[in-house]
Amino acid sequence: MRSLVVAAWLLLLLPTRFVVAVKEQDFKKCDESAFCRRGRTLAHRAAEHVTSGEKWKSPYSLDASTIVLEDGGSRFTGRVRSSLYPEIKFELDVRVHEDGVVRVRMDEKEGLRKRYDEAASWALLKEPVLSPSSKWSVGKKEVKVVYGEKKDQVEVTVEFEPLVVRMKRNGKDQVVLNGQGLLHMEHFREKVEENVKKLEATDVEMVAAEGEEAQKVIQLPPNAWFEGDTEDGLWQESWRSWTDTKPKGPESLSLDINFPNHGHVYGIPQHATRLDLPTTKGEGAFFDDPYRLYNTDVFEYLASSTTSLYGSIPLIHAHSADSTVAVFVSVASETWIDVAHPTQKSTETHWVSESGILDVFLLPGPAPDQVFSQYAKLTGAVQLPPHWSLGYHQCRWNYVSTNDVRSVQKRFDEEDIPVDVFWLDIEYSEDHKYMIWDKKNFPDPVDMFNDVEALARKMVVIVDPHIKRTHDYPVYKEGQELDLFIRNKHGSEFEGWCWSGSSAWIDFFNPNSWEWYKSLYKFNGRNDGKWSWTESTGAVHIWNDMNEPSIFNGPEITMEKDSIHYGGWEHRDVHNINGMLFVNITSQAVKERTTPYKRPFVLTRSFYAGAQRFGAMWTGDNLGTWEHMAVGIPMVLSNNIAGMSFAGADVGGFFGNPEPEMLTRWYFVGAFSPFFRAHAHIDTKRREPYLLAEPYKSIVRETLRLRYSLLPVWYTAFRESTVTGLPVVRPQYVVLPKNEPGFSIDDQYYVGASGLLVKPITEAGVTETTIYIGEDQVYYDFYSGHAYRGSAKGKNVTVPAPLERGPLLIRGGSILPSRERPRRSSALMKRDPFTLKVALSQSGSASGELYLDDGESYGHREGNFVWREFVAESTKKTVIISTKDLGSKNPDRAVDGVELATYNGGNAFANALNGVRVERIVVLGLKNRPSKVTLGNTDLEFIFEGGVAAVGKKEGVASKLTVKNPGAFITSDWTVVLGL
Amino acid sequence: MLLLPFLLSLSVSVPAQAAFSLEVKGVHPSLYQKYVPTSSNLWSCLDESRSIPWSSVNDDYCDCPDGSDEPGTGACKNSTFFCVNVGHVGALISATRVNDGLCEPQCCDGSDEPTGICPNICDQVGIHHRALLEQETKLRKTGSKIRASYISFAQKEKMRLEAVVTSAEREVTAQTNELARIKEIVDRTESLSAVALERRKSSPLFKSLESHSELLESLLILHKNQRQRLNALEDILSGLRTGYNPNYQDMAVLEAVRGWEQIAGLHHINDVQKGEDEGGGEPLPSDGQSKISDEIERKVESVLKADRVSLLMEHEKYVDQTQASPNLLNLSYIPQSFAPAFDYIRSFASAILGYNPLSSDAASVSRVRQLLSDAEAVLREAEDKLRNVQRDLEDLFKPDRFGKDGEWKKLDGLCLEKDTGEYTYEVCLFGEAKQKGNSDGSVHSLGHFSSWKRDEEVGTPDYYSRQMFTGGAKCWNGPQRSIQVDLSCGLDNELLTITEPEKCEYLITGTTPALCTPLESWENVKDEL
Repeated sequence: MRSLVVAAWLLLLLPTRFVVAVKEQDFKKCDESAFCRRGRTLAHRAAEHVTSGEKWKSPYSLDASTIVLEDGGSRFTGRVRSSLYPEIKFELDVRVHEDGVVRVRMDEKEGLRKRYDEAASWALLKEPVLSPSSKWSVGKKEVKVVYGEKKDQVEVTVEFEPLVVRMKRNGKDQVVLNGQGLLHMEHFREKVEENVKKLEATDVEMVAAEGEEAQKVIQLPPNAWFEGDTEDGLWQESWRSWTDTKPKGPESLSLDINFPNHGHVYGIPQHATRLDLPTTKGEGAFFDDPYRLYNTDVFEYLASSTTSLYGSIPLIHAHSADSTVAVFVSVASETWIDVAHPTQKSTETHWVSESGILDVFLLPGPAPDQVFSQYAKLTGAVQLPPHWSLGYHQCRWNYVSTNDVRSVQKRFDEEDIPVDVFWLDIEYSEDHKYMIWDKKNFPDPVDMFNDVEALARKMVVIVDPHIKRTHDYPVYKEGQELDLFIRNKHGSEFEGWCWSGSSAWIDFFNPNSWEWYKSLYKFNGRNDGKWSWTESTGAVHIWNDMNEPSIFNGPEITMEKDSIHYGGWEHRDVHNINGMLFVNITSQAVKERTTPYKRPFVLTRSFYAGAQRFGAMWTGDNLGTWEHMAVGIPMVLSNNIAGMSFAGADVGGFFGNPEPEMLTRWYFVGAFSPFFRAHAHIDTKRREPYLLAEPYKSIVRETLRLRYSLLPVWYTAFRESTVTGLPVVRPQYVVLPKNEPGFSIDDQYYVGASGLLVKPITEAGVTETTIYIGEDQVYYDFYSGHAYRGSAKGKNVTVPAPLERGPLLIRGGSILPSRERPRRSSALMKRDPFTLKVALSQSGSASGELYLDDGESYGHREGNFVWREFVAESTKKTVIISTKDLGSKNPDRAVDGVELATYNGGNAFANALNGVRVERIVVLGLKNRPSKVTLGNTDLEFIFEGGVAAVGKKEGVASKLTVKNPGAFITSDWTVVLGL
Repeated sequence: MLLLPFLLSLSVSVPAQAAFSLEVKGVHPSLYQKYVPTSSNLWSCLDESRSIPWSSVNDDYCDCPDGSDEPGTGACKNSTFFCVNVGHVGALISATRVNDGLCEPQCCDGSDEPTGICPNICDQVGIHHRALLEQETKLRKTGSKIRASYISFAQKEKMRLEAVVTSAEREVTAQTNELARIKEIVDRTESLSAVALERRKSSPLFKSLESHSELLESLLILHKNQRQRLNALEDILSGLRTGYNPNYQDMAVLEAVRGWEQIAGLHHINDVQKGEDEGGGEPLPSDGQSKISDEIERKVESVLKADRVSLLMEHEKYVDQTQASPNLLNLSYIPQSFAPAFDYIRSFASAILGYNPLSSDAASVSRVRQLLSDAEAVLREAEDKLRNVQRDLEDLFKPDRFGKDGEWKKLDGLCLEKDTGEYTYEVCLFGEAKQKGNSDGSVHSLGHFSSWKRDEEVGTPDYYSRQMFTGGAKCWNGPQRSIQVDLSCGLDNELLTITEPEKCEYLITGTTPALCTPLESWENVKDEL
């Protein structure tokens, strides 16, 4: 008897197993979203027509007689008709920009209501300049424009009937809009009662219904061939316990965008999937559901899925060995995208959005570099971040008190582990009233900030968009007095549930909110004497989380779509932009709280095209699993190619307790991400690097030191990105766009133009791995100097990958500037000398760049910076290493998109760096020991270790020359000659 | 690793005249004699791996793999820097701190940065340091007096316990003798009636009585287990209700919470009016039932304890006599809803206890048996007491318990409290730690004392600087609560700070005179380490 009881008792004591995965039913699939269903069945009908041999012709056509050329001919407008609804007026507006980008807009004119047309105004940096030379010409069947160099001409045609937009290069289709005839803009209409509807239906078509009454004839509406025979969720839609009232009725938009000559598509972040987007349609489709863009807070998201996540960038790259093009679809409403490859060399995509106008930008390329610069011209490039924000960020939900923060800082310093930023998650605040300190645990926040700043470090504090609805919270009280909150469908203050309990959300679409919200950050007080965050300092930067917005009791954990924003727009119209407005205004607030302005750092979870101008993003609440560690890499790459260069995934995984090996590997992933932060959920064990046992602790310390030593490389890569729009981390197809076998590789990547090629290990128990080298070049192992050889066709090489040495190669032909003295934080390195690592190419040359400035002011926009080039050239008898200034050569494209007229090498910042040395020059791949090494007339001390030369085909440890203290300064011109 | 050295300010005062006799910047005085060039002006790295020109020493370039050529610069990541700190005590810091633009507090002479950056503040620092030292000495002196009183308490306690042991031993001896005496009587009496007893034992009534008892015993065990299980489940559900995250609208969790609220008659946790405190302290409906269960369990246990053989002996006395049942189980407070179950129990109990007359010889057997079992109980009690006192005596000077001087004995069971606003934390040293809700009266165990600081040598001051309490109430979706109490020397026994660095793992700091050893002896210990 007793034993039975005991057994039952034991059963009860067994730990409850937790289901670790997103609850899929919390988020919609395409078939649970009426407009997506309508869009997808439209595509399905079209496909069935074609397979059954019938013709499928788009009902949309351009009325040639209405075409008007404007702006000197670089733009035309014209009326588009739909044969389904001939009385409805659509206007087409097509423009050619000065850089060859073509913008296609279509809107319903004089309709019952107005479609949302402001998405581009938030995404674009400024109104694009139209081409002064390209002119549209109107022909019999099409409007056409031709531009570009003779040998490499772009031709864009807009065909009248059916309406098709086609961009060609050298006669080859690059992008085709409506080539499959799936264009459909649902016009605004009055709600028609069911019985009225039936009367209107005519008997053009008769169909036998299924079932027993086979002869029963039903009448179909004339547009059924295109729109289907039933109304599907046009006026109201219920899902789980929520009902979307849809007062405006149907207004969705469907468009097929085809790339007939491109077999690879990338982009449309954010999804947890491969960089080279797997198919969602067609035979053997990898996913069932279309990619979804609808900013949502997905709890414990899946590591391979088309589910929407926290941010959306509707930009897609199409790539082949011939060319790269891109399409940016400026739409802010929920959007679903099907991807199919009808052949290996072609791609079809189908975009369905819930509302908004058609506003599509065709980026002609033809190479990835140009696509990046074309996109940066539209939505802006990443802004040069504060230098310290490229250091290591230590976060946890939560450091529980000011003393906790102090003791974490102390432990880092005791262990000599570098760190730049400590973070505070939501629990610092009293009842989640952000900016209001929980004085029980944080009695002395300003002293805490000062203690952290004393070691040249910063803090980042979270400020979320949900505003606790209580009048003792000045932000809520004032927001209400100023009438700045988003409204519900009934027109009163929207109320939802989030961390702070019952909450309201500021409507940042309302211009009245901007100056007010910015003034809250004035830590020296506001001019009007009202409340501002005076318990803060200039060392405090901001983290914006939950800005999708995340609303615990809302449909799909977000806001009801029929909520109302400024100007009367529905939330459905602006949803994907909403989060970006919050980080936009926060970054301005942080920047402008002091005079002179200082560069802000703001991290956001939600983002949209253009958000790169406001701060960094991270991939949200990942899991502490190998799978999530691995998918974080293509996710960061995908964000990078879509403009969000300052990206990273939480090191260690937000949920769970990673084992030491996993955490150690994850630090390497982080050390090679543009944004490098460790974070952990409140339920996890503490896992700051100093808590690791040996050997893990020492390995992580060295990994962090490696990141810090390479900060010059990262900062220089960011400089380039601010000017060219090129991503900071670059996948294979971006660096070697002609090398086909590399197009789908997304587990290795290059850091800027530095030549560093990294392949983080994301599996347990690995001791070696293969790295793909997609060119005929020598690559050196970063640690051992081992020379590997690639080939023009591409070659896999096997490299060691022990836990303490994450696979890292240097591309032959690169010169890496680094700072090798470990410090507690990055600002403490600013007077440290440099090491230059010269990795000779197979032809015996190399080059590299270095960009430096004060790291936090805007002085760089006035020419206070150092930007230099290092070059190594070989002759028969010598190798000459020299440096020259790049600023004076390219003042108009130096940094942050600022076009300086001149650059003065003797600027204040450069002068402050006087005396900062190059302490060491390392040359890999010399063919023999130099007889002497000189700078001017001075013989320099050096050590030579023999080995494989860069020239030739040999593999093995390369020769290594180390020149000691060459007496060269980082800001001046010099030449070091190696006599061979 | 070079981590510890720079933390311990070396207590060696460097005489001013020695510091500059062989000045190689950053070298620890004990190594001065190693920093001398050879006649050919060369110098060997301390690990002897390389020979380098003497001019390469402190030339701000790292030549030696062991970093020994750059004691005075930050060029080698694995070297250390010694600042002389004339007027204060010298300090060894990591090379990562040299020439980094920050004036290290350890180097009050400012020598860790190039000349002119950091002022020499060793005079002030020295004065301040000595003042602190004096203060510390004073604290320890006063504190150690209190500590001494704890030790003498332990001494007195020892004497007291020894006296108790002696008397307990006497008691055990006396009771042992008494038991032997009664046993003899019982044996004699019983041998007379053994045959009669055997016959009576085979009566169906007695057999039925035996099997009833067995069943009742089983039911009681089952009942207790079920109650434990029920309590655990209620705890889990209560924890779920107060601790669940309304995030993500997990309907399954919400349903579980609502279901529990309905069964327990609680309002919905999120229905609280704004501004009103969450009243989590409503009594659970099962509280009343729990009292009744306790009472019934107690009664059933006493019923089961009855010596059935004695009862059998006595039985004859009552045969053919009518008498009212005793009102053993007339519990007036039993509520109506419980009446049926209670009636059942009462009838069951009455069946066992149903008095019947017994024959007189049986009566005497029964009487002596009762005497015997009483005597056995008294002896057991005396033995238990003796064992306990002996254990207390042993523990008194056990290093892993009250210290080898017994200085902690005085604090055994001392309960310290700290009010943090929302909760009051109570730590009973060597006992249990609890978290009490100030508004709702909830109490959660944070665990029982389980050990002093782990990973420290038993008996060292560091060993006694931490008490670990483990095995507290389980957190919903979390571990069992535990607490770490970090103590330092102070004149009062008090708790200072309370934090929860990880969910359900608490950290408390506090002071106690028990850790106040005189500074001299403390320093000695530190030096020995």
